[in-house]
Amino acid sequence: MTDPKAVFSHSPDVVTRKTGNEYVLVPVANNIADMESLYALNETGAFIWDLLDGERNVEEIILIFAREYGINHKTASEDVISFLNEMSKYLIIKI
Amino acid sequence: MYNSVSYRESSVDFYSLYMQKEQIGRMRNYNLNIAGYNIRIESAEDGPDLVPSQRFRRNIIQNPEYDVCIRVHHGSLKPKDDSERLFVAPYVVEINGYKITRSDNFWSVYRQNGDMLLITNFPESPSGKKAMLKFSLALREWDLWIENAGSETDPLEYPLDGLILYYLTAINSDIMIHASGVYYNGHGYLFSGVSGKGKTTMAMLWKNIGAQVIHDDRLIIRNTDGIFRMYNTPVYKNDIPNNAAIDRIFLIEHGNENKMTLLREASSVSQVIANCIQHNYSQDMIARFLGSVSMMCSKIPVATLSYKPDRSIIEYILRNE
Repeated sequence: MTDPKAVFSHSPDVVTRKTGNEYVLVPVANNIADMESLYALNETGAFIWDLLDGERNVEEIILIFAREYGINHKTASEDVISFLNEMSKYLIIKI
Repeated sequence: MYNSVSYRESSVDFYSLYMQKEQIGRMRNYNLNIAGYNIRIESAEDGPDLVPSQRFRRNIIQNPEYDVCIRVHHGSLKPKDDSERLFVAPYVVEINGYKITRSDNFWSVYRQNGDMLLITNFPESPSGKKAMLKFSLALREWDLWIENAGSETDPLEYPLDGLILYYLTAINSDIMIHASGVYYNGHGYLFSGVSGKGKTTMAMLWKNIGAQVIHDDRLIIRNTDGIFRMYNTPVYKNDIPNNAAIDRIFLIEHGNENKMTLLREASSVSQVIANCIQHNYSQDMIARFLGSVSMMCSKIPVATLSYKPDRSIIEYILRNE
């Protein structure tokens, strides 16, 4: 369970490229197996990604996300935490 | 705005040259034009004689200018203790559709006092050849030491040829991709996928209706004044240098029906990248590479394509132009 007070930031070992409202994320890798991990974020994922600024905590991000997309807190919380779990292997770091 | 017919002229020139070069044995130096890169190979004073394998001979040109010059030496060098290993690749073979790792340390890239070092084995060499290439992303003179070369050697034996070409693409913001490519009726089609997805089958289907096959396995893509062209590289012994402008990119897989789905924005970029050759140990290299692929995907439509391996897929593609 992700701590609502936790603060995350983008890993310094990931290179991002924004195309339209979406992102491509490529982690720095030192072998070919790691290179199979690259991500495309759709508009929703890109919105959460931009909020991972090393200052806002998880609860604040959930509130902003719920307000932006007009969804309830529970749904927003599930989406944000699922996103953080997906990103946690290579792409984000806990402050 | 196409410029896709030039390959026909260049093919004739290269073939004519190839017929002359077939007679050449040992050399002390030669120049290759591969995908528009002019690569000069020259033996150092104490280096081995050079005997390019047959697959390179159609790429030999009489032009002393070069984009990169590789001096070949006898001997071996090892990275120093304070060098940093940036990247390592295993040796993987595919047998009956299964990938089997034969060695965890096939080739490696090191950084040493500002130099880049590439160390590789040659799995197809019976003599236990090893090599170290000192290269640079900024300088045009590189050095290659070959251990157990004997008195004569092919300095671009697998995997060194592909690795050198990869770094030339990285230097020039170009793209190396697992793909087949065909040119038909004024249009260039690129079909990308990793092993087993049907690149060769697709190329064969187009060849059967008279299309020019640029290559059926690996292509280099270069952006010239906003036109993205696909080039073949010498993989097989009968490869003739070819290129064509790209009008459509398909990410292919076998299926029970023909179905095309246009990709947009980040999805197209990430799915194309997944099929590209890339050594992602450097943020600068990744950023430049991402920029090149993003630019290409903004200019050329990218679609996933599942297909039945028969002529109906060609009619389907042409119908959906």
